[in-house]
Amino acid sequence: MKEKIIITITIGLTALILTMIMFTQFKTVDKTDITAIETMRETELRSELTSWREKYEEINSKVSETDAKISEYKQELDNDENIANLLQEEVKEAEGYLGYTKLQGQGIVVTLQDSNVDITYSDLLRLVNELNAAGAEAISINDERIVSRSDIATVDYIKILVNDSRIFSPYEIKAIGDKKYLASALNVKYGYIDEMRNNEKIVEYAEQDNIVIPAYEKKLEFNYAKENIVEE
Amino acid sequence: MIYIAIILGCILGAIIGSLSPVIPYTYSSYLSIAIVAALDTVFGGIASVVKGNFDLKIFLSGFFGNSILSIALTYLGEKLNVDIYLAAIVVFVGRMFTNLAIIRRYYIDKWVNMIEKNKDNNIEKKDEKATE
Repeated sequence: MKEKIIITITIGLTALILTMIMFTQFKTVDKTDITAIETMRETELRSELTSWREKYEEINSKVSETDAKISEYKQELDNDENIANLLQEEVKEAEGYLGYTKLQGQGIVVTLQDSNVDITYSDLLRLVNELNAAGAEAISINDERIVSRSDIATVDYIKILVNDSRIFSPYEIKAIGDKKYLASALNVKYGYIDEMRNNEKIVEYAEQDNIVIPAYEKKLEFNYAKENIVEE
Repeated sequence: MIYIAIILGCILGAIIGSLSPVIPYTYSSYLSIAIVAALDTVFGGIASVVKGNFDLKIFLSGFFGNSILSIALTYLGEKLNVDIYLAAIVVFVGRMFTNLAIIRRYYIDKWVNMIEKNKDNNIEKKDEKATE
């Protein structure tokens, strides 16, 4: 009788344990989203997770790399812009030196006129030389800009050519520079004006605050000269 | 008496199981293999009752031992990356079918015997009536 009770209790307990575990399992299976993980096991999920993490890190590093590149390019672009601006400014300045830009500023206007005694080309040449010596920054004769390769020539000692164009009296020479300095350079005793007047030539000059000097219109180009590439 | 205990245990187990917390999915595979092992032992026990050689010690040791062994094997398979639990399931379910066959045969025999007995009884009664 006692044995039977023990058997009954133990079998009841085993039934209890079995059903308990089974229902726990049912509940677990029911609650777990099996469609999402399908038959995957923990290790697989773990490896998947690590692979995703690796991918994520890889992409992250790529993103930061690309960001760095972008900022580098941006900086370079800025630099390029700066360089471009600088170059443009340089080009403008060079053009100014060459005489390709219209300039204005203070300076003097010297007028030479034919009278009993004609004005010769050498008078103009000397005047230009004097003005340059006095620090003139831009010179024109009858609106012909004097540049580095300008010529002041004569034909038959009558016709005067500046930049291969014939000019006529009165000759108006404009020079931009320190007007006081330019005037005094011409006006000095035994200087240009003195000498000209001694030779009975008519010379007038006026200091002005706003002289406009036109640009050089011809093209400066090298046909024979080449850059010296041999280093000394 | 035993049937009452079994039913009571089942009902109590169902209630407790439904109230218990959800275990992590990782461990649910161990639990399922343990359940299969336990069910196999239960059918084995019923079969042994039918055969008349039921032993409580063997039943209990089988119940817990098989469950723990199957869990250990599954764990080992997990570590070895071999699906050992599949082998365990094949063995347990196969044994469950053989045990079920034994039980079925026993009850079918019993049923057939009962019907034949009833027939014999009826014939004997008819005979008695005829002789009267």
